[in-house]
Amino acid sequence: MSSTKYMNPYLAGILLGLVLVAAFYFTGRGLGASGAVKSVVVSVVDVVAPDHANNSGFYSKYIGDGKNPLKTWLVFEVLGVLVGGFLSGAFAGRLKLKVEHHPNITSKKRLILAGIGGVLFGYGSQLGRGCTSGSALTGMAVLSVAGFVSMMAIFGTAFAFAYFFRRNWI
Amino acid sequence: MGPLIPQEIIAEGWNFLIAFGVGIGFGFILEQAGFSSSRKLAGVFYGYDAVVLKVFFTGAITGMIGLLYLSLFDWIDLNLIWVNPTYLWSAIIGGIIMGAGFIVGGFCPGTSVCAAAIGKIDAMVFFGGIFIGILLFGETFEWIKPLYMAEYWGQIKLSELIGISQGLLTFFIIIAALLMFWVAEMAEKKFPQKEY
Amino acid sequence: MIPRLLLSAVYFGLGIIIAFVPENTTKPFRLTAEQMLNEVKYRSEMVSSDELADWMVNQDPSIQLIDIRTPKEFDQFHLENALNIPLSQILDEEWIDFLDQGIKMNILYSNGTTLAHEAWMISRQLGYENNYVLQGGLNYWTETILNPSAPSPYSADDEIAKYEFRKGASQYFGGEMKSTNESKKTKTDKPIIKRRKKKKAPQGGC
Repeated sequence: MSSTKYMNPYLAGILLGLVLVAAFYFTGRGLGASGAVKSVVVSVVDVVAPDHANNSGFYSKYIGDGKNPLKTWLVFEVLGVLVGGFLSGAFAGRLKLKVEHHPNITSKKRLILAGIGGVLFGYGSQLGRGCTSGSALTGMAVLSVAGFVSMMAIFGTAFAFAYFFRRNWI
Repeated sequence: MGPLIPQEIIAEGWNFLIAFGVGIGFGFILEQAGFSSSRKLAGVFYGYDAVVLKVFFTGAITGMIGLLYLSLFDWIDLNLIWVNPTYLWSAIIGGIIMGAGFIVGGFCPGTSVCAAAIGKIDAMVFFGGIFIGILLFGETFEWIKPLYMAEYWGQIKLSELIGISQGLLTFFIIIAALLMFWVAEMAEKKFPQKEY
Repeated sequence: MIPRLLLSAVYFGLGIIIAFVPENTTKPFRLTAEQMLNEVKYRSEMVSSDELADWMVNQDPSIQLIDIRTPKEFDQFHLENALNIPLSQILDEEWIDFLDQGIKMNILYSNGTTLAHEAWMISRQLGYENNYVLQGGLNYWTETILNPSAPSPYSADDEIAKYEFRKGASQYFGGEMKSTNESKKTKTDKPIIKRRKKKKAPQGGC
């Protein structure tokens, strides 16, 4: 079994829950990921096309009044995720530059699919006001209706579409 | 007592340092659990590896229990905890789009960051895709706005919606999660993963 | 397999306990001691009797008088159109919609100012925003508005102008306080409830 080298999933889940509770205890908010990317996108648009950014109902929410969209909680948190992931990979000897894919498909196809998946996730996370960690996990922990709806929509859709994409994974 | 920063028990300046620390913990655990592998993540949808389900729901119920017990002992004020607002349609449609992204791309944003950190090139591409997706959303914001704002229910909790106490709801969710783990264990035995 | 069973049992047990213990409903304070001190320091919650008289003469629809005294005292005398919310009942469910709203300006009064101030502080701690206190209470109201005493002829002009206004107001309210006693049993409509946003909750978003 390849999974033996990973942590027991239940133990990992408990630790994840404890990190979540710690985040709530210190800052009153949970975890997140896509919000940090949003901050970066907003900053880039603000630099490249400031007029456009100010006129848009979406970007203008995060800029103006000397607000720096990059100086937000989630940006620092995601930087931490990067460091934490790297540390864990280093300890477990998993640091390796590679494209992971099923033998059935080529690296190129895997990368294209990953890109498409990213675009979909990016769009969906903004429409759904948060991704798996920010809306579903954090939302469920505080028993928010939005959290449960997001969770069911994400996992339900993935299960429903799984059949059509099975060649890529099994 | 908690939450410490909104009540100004510790200074705002600590916020980003704590964010960084929480992020390290988050990333470390995701990687340790194997969330840096898209094939492990996708496994849950084919029954061969339910690690996502196990970690996700154990994390969620631990979070629920943790918050309720902290509140019970007056260590945290649940009124100051951010409850994400429910906009029904955008949550459903957004979730559907994210679910499609999940099965196509094999990651979600958090796990892609973590996988990119250990050198998975597909995760880096996925992460790049998120930028484009968010940019697309920004550019189509005015067009999608009616859907984005539709069916606003407020910062409502599921326990309020169905009219039971938070503790009782949590208890039901724990039972559901335990049942789900049991099914997942069965599925893993039924669809063994080929070594790769 | 044993650790899993053990873990399941632990979660099951924690779940059972949390399901059946009563929820912690202690409402925490919304204002810190410093914030409270600031509000008290600037006396921004005070409404003078002259201001109130002016509004009442002009029948300003945006004010709501709230009598904090006991029903007995209220029956003996109260200001026109006042609503009686005794201090001991201030936390009752039925008054929330009156005290916690953003439409009308609530002016709390008692005989002096102690009771009114106590009620005001409680309402502030609950995070309600539209409540004010009548400066000097009913005693001062009677003294200045109902039975104004003439200032000495050497007083400044504005003192005399104030007296003229009070004299007019006194006539409007019926001179002697006893004649104001016709208690109108008009129960005022509940104002539209404005739900306040949770304060200081951090902004989320993934």
